[in-house]
Amino acid sequence: MVDVSQHELVPDHSLLDEPEHVEEVLEEYNVKKTDLPKITRTDPALPDAAEPGDVVRIERDSRTTDTAVVYRLVVDS
Amino acid sequence: MTETTVESVDTYVDAHEHVTEDIALVVEDTDLPRRLKDRVYDTVDAREGVTTEQADEIAQAVESRYLDTRVDPLDPVGTVSAQSIGEPGTQMTMNTFHYAGVAEMDVTQGLPRLIELVDARKTPDTPIMIVHLDDEHATDRERAHEVVWQLEATKILALGDVSTNVADMLVSIDLNDETLLERWPTYESATEVAGIVADIIEDNLGVETRRTGTEIEFGPEEPSYRELLQLVEQLREIVFKGIEEVTRVVIRKESVDDSDNDEEFVLYTEGSAFADALEIEGVDASRTTCNNIHEIYRTLGVEAARETIINETMETLEEQGLDDVNIRHLMLVSDIMTNRGTVESIGRHGISGSKESVLARAAFEVTVNHLLDAAIHGEADDLNGVIENVIVGKPVAIGTGDVDLRMGAAPSARKSADD
Repeated sequence: MVDVSQHELVPDHSLLDEPEHVEEVLEEYNVKKTDLPKITRTDPALPDAAEPGDVVRIERDSRTTDTAVVYRLVVDS
Repeated sequence: MTETTVESVDTYVDAHEHVTEDIALVVEDTDLPRRLKDRVYDTVDAREGVTTEQADEIAQAVESRYLDTRVDPLDPVGTVSAQSIGEPGTQMTMNTFHYAGVAEMDVTQGLPRLIELVDARKTPDTPIMIVHLDDEHATDRERAHEVVWQLEATKILALGDVSTNVADMLVSIDLNDETLLERWPTYESATEVAGIVADIIEDNLGVETRRTGTEIEFGPEEPSYRELLQLVEQLREIVFKGIEEVTRVVIRKESVDDSDNDEEFVLYTEGSAFADALEIEGVDASRTTCNNIHEIYRTLGVEAARETIINETMETLEEQGLDDVNIRHLMLVSDIMTNRGTVESIGRHGISGSKESVLARAAFEVTVNHLLDAAIHGEADDLNGVIENVIVGKPVAIGTGDVDLRMGAAPSARKSADD
């Protein structure tokens, strides 16, 4: 299998494993966890350890600034 | 935000001749994004002899302009995006005729392509891949060709002549030695390759073959004219080498900026099988792309699909000379399409069809069905969106419509205007 994360179209995905970090994110945006954009559990770019209910931090190379950080909630299918 | 320290600005001071530590500190103190800060440095550097006070003024001016251009609270960004893409869309070519875009290839362009993208079609009209090669294969035409033969579907007619002998009930194939060796470069002799070809035929058609040199003969078990013709038909469909979906590959020499080599070979394919192509030896799996957003989604994930939607829509617009559409609008479209972790279309089957509000869905398409379903299931509408409120005649919760102003009734420090 090819290493998907090496592809230039795929930004860095990292798991927010500390619950406090998740809380910080939700507080910053003033949203509920389910309001976050989603990513499916089967997504090839997802870290192996990710389970539904986890939040992943995605650091994109942005077209309008240098890097843009977004968060996605891992969901079933 | 991190504290700006003298040490942290060193890199900017070092990078620009006329940027002092103090200038760097005032610039770093602003709320500007990195990209704009760098441009301020570049400008200050180019002007030469800018004092710290002047630099501060420049930085302040840039910052206030930057803050001004940000989206206002309650701004209907979606509507603005829709208009900003929609208006240039009216100027795009409406005909579906393809013409040679890149390297004499058929590529759907203009409005049909844009519609295809926002509809998130399962397969594009003209699927293509742009295959980049690794360092070893990218500079040598011979090595690049090796990858081409791994990609392009090779059928029997490309390898030799097929003739049907009705009298003896035989199909005979006369393979071309040169073509065989060219397409199977790792083998020494043509007869060896002919053996492989014969094996593939046996596996696919379930017949016994007889081979002498590079000539292969076979026929149906029982003499039957119909079966013989059927065998020939099936034979033509067999893919001996390469990827079935890829019908044609074009090699182009392109210049690269960020490499030691000035030029490299890039392959453009008609037809796509993205996941299969990435596995092939010699293919650079970090730069190869394809124009099918679903294939990208399946092999690289939502984030890559999002990037591809932005790239493809922008390229489509640029090709039509409509490159003044701001990328942010396309990013918004792409964000919405990938918001739920899969690629969804804009429209009845995608975004618009899965809105919370009954009235919003009914206002889009197939009004009666939506109202009927909502009535059967006893759905309620919270009237939060724009369309719902337009329908019921309430102010919409956007822009000034969402702001309540109340006049101060309590008199404070009463003073007559006459004083």
